Amino acid sequence: MATKILSVDDSRTIRLIVGKAFRPYDVQMCEAANGEEGLAAAAREKPDLIILDVTMPVMDGVTMLTKLKEDAALKAIPVIMLTAESGRDNVLQIAKIGVRDYLVKPFKEDQLIEKAGRIVSLQKKAAAPAAPAAPAPVAPAAA
Amino acid sequence: MNQTVQITDVKEFMTRHLVDVFDTMLSMKASLAPNAELPQFGERVSGSVGFAGETVTGAVYLHLSAPLASHVAAAMLGLPPEEITGEHEVNDVVGEATNMLTGGLKSWLCDSGFDCAVSTPAIIRGTSFSIEPLPDVEREWLVFDCGEDRLVVEIHIKLN
Repeated sequence: MATKILSVDDSRTIRLIVGKAFRPYDVQMCEAANGEEGLAAAAREKPDLIILDVTMPVMDGVTMLTKLKEDAALKAIPVIMLTAESGRDNVLQIAKIGVRDYLVKPFKEDQLIEKAGRIVSLQKKAAAPAAPAAPAPVAPAAA
Repeated sequence: MNQTVQITDVKEFMTRHLVDVFDTMLSMKASLAPNAELPQFGERVSGSVGFAGETVTGAVYLHLSAPLASHVAAAMLGLPPEEITGEHEVNDVVGEATNMLTGGLKSWLCDSGFDCAVSTPAIIRGTSFSIEPLPDVEREWLVFDCGEDRLVVEIHIKLN
């Protein structure tokens, strides 16, 4: 069964970059654009991993993480925080609430894969089988 | 306790940080063009993100020509440039790039004792507009070469 990963970010750009990073792997992606939608998606999809942005409208990542950890049905889902802010206080705050790891933007796709791979199983997709060779044209019968 | 931060320190940090953001997220080389005049853009796409705290307020603007903004969007999304057809995609990428720039500055300011929070990004598009800082706010421009094009980072900052 494919690993299910939920990407929660208000930026469609970041959701696309996250999705692109996992494309070579047997991963089923789901998305949400803010913390409120993220909580609903987490309850509905029961992902194996959440990639969570910090600064978002409606409900930010820290609030979503706090609510996730208060929910008995969801608190075991591991979370990687994705943040544009690498300051000590910011990192300490999210570490206290309980994240498995964090990644500071800008980031390389390889860094995301490496961090996710330490938490969930990432299997490379099998290569698509080669198309069968086209049958050789039949030579017209000699008159 | 607040450390002393000068506008020159902010400019040095932002120069390093922009080069890092463009290299890491876009695989694009940008380099400071010292003493360069502000480029005259045609259509311009500008991202802005504000920051505010008790001892510091300001905003960061990233100004790109419309063609460079499309090129940046294609690079960040890993798509061929011809597939970038909508303003929405370009706006989102320029907003995210500005967010990364300002997020880095915010972290650097916080680590220097100037706690602050950042806003969500906004985009301004147009062919002829200028942004004026409020009184007592310092403004600096950094002009960068990026391939055949130029981009500008505009910093407004007030340190109390």
